[in-house]
Amino acid sequence: MKKVIMGNHAVSYGVRASDVKVISAYPITPQTQIVELLSEMCAKGDLDAKFIAVESEHSALTACVGASAAGVRTFTATSSQGLLLMHEIIHWAVGARLPIVLVNVNRAVGPPWSIWTDQNDSLSQRDTGWLQIYCESNQETQDTIIQAFKIAETVKLPVMVVIDAFFLSHTFEIVDILEPDEVRPFLPPYEPDMRVDIDNPHSFGNLASPGEYFELRYMIEKAMEASRDVVRDVDREFEKRFGRGYGVVKPYRCEDADYILVTSGTVASTARAVIDEMRGEGVKIGALKIRVFRPFPFQEVYDVLSKAKKVAVIDRNISFGHHGIFYQEVKSALYGRTNVPILGYIAGLGGRDVTPKVIRSIAEKAINDTHPEPDINWIGVKI
Amino acid sequence: MGEKITFKSFKEMPLCAMSIADMTYNFTGSWRNVRPYYDFKVSPCRLACPTAENIQRYIFLVTENDYEQAWRAMIESNPMPSVTGRVCFHPCMEKCTRKDYDQAINIPAIERSIGDMGLDNPKWIEKARASKKEKIAVIGGGPAGLSCAFYLARQGYPVTLFEADDALGGTLRWGIPEYRLPNDLLDRVIASILESGPITVKTGTALGVDVTLDTLEKEYAAVFIGTGLTKSRPMGVVGEDAPGVERGLEFLRKVNGGEKVNPGKSVVVVGGGNTAMDVARCARRSGSEVTVVYRRTMNEMPAIKDEIEEAEKEGVFFHFLAAPKSITRSGAGPVKVVFQQMKLGLPDESGRRRPVPDGDKTFTMDVDTIFTAIGEEGDAAPFGKVIDTDGALIQTKNEFGQTSRNRIFAGGDIVTGAASVVEAVAAGRKAAERIDRMLSKQSEPAVEEPRTISIENINTAYFTKAKRALVPRIPVEQALGGYREIFSGFDGDLLRSESDRCFSCGVCNFCDNCWVYCPDVAVKRLADEYEFDYDYCKGCLVCVTECPRSAISTREEGR
Repeated sequence: MKKVIMGNHAVSYGVRASDVKVISAYPITPQTQIVELLSEMCAKGDLDAKFIAVESEHSALTACVGASAAGVRTFTATSSQGLLLMHEIIHWAVGARLPIVLVNVNRAVGPPWSIWTDQNDSLSQRDTGWLQIYCESNQETQDTIIQAFKIAETVKLPVMVVIDAFFLSHTFEIVDILEPDEVRPFLPPYEPDMRVDIDNPHSFGNLASPGEYFELRYMIEKAMEASRDVVRDVDREFEKRFGRGYGVVKPYRCEDADYILVTSGTVASTARAVIDEMRGEGVKIGALKIRVFRPFPFQEVYDVLSKAKKVAVIDRNISFGHHGIFYQEVKSALYGRTNVPILGYIAGLGGRDVTPKVIRSIAEKAINDTHPEPDINWIGVKI
Repeated sequence: MGEKITFKSFKEMPLCAMSIADMTYNFTGSWRNVRPYYDFKVSPCRLACPTAENIQRYIFLVTENDYEQAWRAMIESNPMPSVTGRVCFHPCMEKCTRKDYDQAINIPAIERSIGDMGLDNPKWIEKARASKKEKIAVIGGGPAGLSCAFYLARQGYPVTLFEADDALGGTLRWGIPEYRLPNDLLDRVIASILESGPITVKTGTALGVDVTLDTLEKEYAAVFIGTGLTKSRPMGVVGEDAPGVERGLEFLRKVNGGEKVNPGKSVVVVGGGNTAMDVARCARRSGSEVTVVYRRTMNEMPAIKDEIEEAEKEGVFFHFLAAPKSITRSGAGPVKVVFQQMKLGLPDESGRRRPVPDGDKTFTMDVDTIFTAIGEEGDAAPFGKVIDTDGALIQTKNEFGQTSRNRIFAGGDIVTGAASVVEAVAAGRKAAERIDRMLSKQSEPAVEEPRTISIENINTAYFTKAKRALVPRIPVEQALGGYREIFSGFDGDLLRSESDRCFSCGVCNFCDNCWVYCPDVAVKRLADEYEFDYDYCKGCLVCVTECPRSAISTREEGR
């Protein structure tokens, strides 16, 4: 059934379609509507799940950890400060190998207080062992939630689905809403290999000596590596069944491009319009959206970018003391394999609009800029 | 015992850290530097009780619904809980730890309720046979004598109980009005004591008149004297022999004996103790207007607080800081009492501020009867030739009441001066226990300094605030209509809910917290105790923190 709904509600419908059994969350702008609708669904019986209201995001994710350890499909949503408050349990969910799905609505971190989008909240969880998938449309968001559960339960790692505050969370688009009955053959009920079970008691999360800890970490990385194939295959299976696939990365007019803009989130959609405009003027330019950030798609990124003459990465985030985070990641994907110049641009922090004009200025600057660029390129900052 | 597992490859390991076999090979007890151990203290209520009733234990047994054992725990130290539950000044409640949290436990109400159950269940009484050959004489059938006889008879000693009056009970019978302690209840209490063992009662037998201490000392293996105070103290006031001036105790004796009394319209009671309260309230029941005149203030009154409150409720007036100076009466006219106004001076030996005359301020009251209730005195003259006395009181040389003659013991008011029922009960019991040890040639047990706890040692997170439950009562108007008992005991529900409020200070009541919270499963739960498994106890002391009642202590290892 197609409906015009906001991005946040696309998340809620994705959760509903996934037959989630336990939801625990704490409200925070701009995420609140996700769990608001979910709690209504639970109350009305549209979704047969236990909704656990808690007093903080730390408790919300902790409740999810408990529920997931008990062997049920579990979801939470948060944003910015809330995600940061969860940080301890973000690590825990990975170490405990719990297939929790979390939606983070990208919101700038305070202070200064902000409710608008940038990616520093989710990217600060980069090294925790969660898979991260960045979406650019409401439809993609709903569909990615469903995929995320299947991926998580296959590789036994949690998945974070990330959407931009307001540009996606509060923007209304047509979404083909999937029903649980349609999804069930794709995503059967969760069958955990191990669970907290009073008839078969074990304690979990115990002390591991230096003789075991190393191996348990190794196994997490192995799972992360194995998830590359799983992410790709789940997306393909989804596409086969529902007619929509999103890829690990999404290249646009990159085949013969001299210049490629690397983007993520909603900026990707805007960039495509700029590409079309500049292509019309004869500039051989393309764009690459990075959808799956963890595990980082080294090969896919290399395959697309290695043929370009110049690459420009647009980052809606900043790693203080280094550079934009996608920029670092892209550089490391190409390191030692090609000499294509890579330039980094910081834009749109704290929700500042990244308009076609802004993207075009980045493209033009990138075409003219020399490599290597010693300084960070701040786009639109009032100096 | 489990063995240590060594993984050769990550492939042998579970996906996440989890227990896959037991860890008993790992004796984590060796990590411990502090050792917890069960260490039961003496609850403050028990410490405060003159006869050391095991209050914590009987309340615990009530919470377990084991009323019979609760009763047994009581009579270990007090053969008349029905009496003390009604008339004691309950110092236990003053020290109740719960007082520092919300309100003290209603210990006397629990005591009387269980005590009465003992009377209703004669099967609970285990009658002791005369298994010992040494005969004991107990002189005085009041609380001290009854207590001493009870604890000796329980050990199988044949006891002869001498009583000057024609009925047992002493002060309990003659000094306490029936609205506090009904005679028929007292009869049942005494019967239950006499049924407990070989006790022969000789009433109407007064020491010094019908028998002498000399003879008794020769005929009996041991003698206990608990004759109490028999003389009203004179006021030392001009005219106190005038008609219309009466001894309070004599008035109470008449009332308790069922005699009709008519003290008149206007009555003054001089004194501030329990006798004064009893006299005043009995006079109210005869329709008199009653004023209690006391030479100090309410703060210094020795009467039980509850009794003062009840007297006030019943319309007794109080006039403080005044003492009679002279009493005159012309013919059948009113008794004229001149009172000297007093003020409080420096504290005396009792720690209370001494009343001194406030200049020459006086006032006069016209009354029909003035009762004196300023205390009673002992008369130790009958014993004076045999044992050391000060003329009024018997002198004892230890806490067991041993007198200057080793086989003669004494206890109760005749030793202490005016004190309380529970102190007399305690004295009787302690003397009985000492007599038993003396006759069976046992050595004195070592006495440990008791250790107790206070509110700081209670983990109050485990307790919900709840008010003390009150016993049912009849309304004041009804109470004033006669001598019906004012208060009743708890029914089953109140008894349980009030007992559930008890912190069980310093003593385990099997709440399972230590067992539940021990992260090393090092607490073993046995049939009626817990035990630490020191092979595994790491000394984290979670048990100590989570024990709501400080029943676990710690000591450093190696010390």
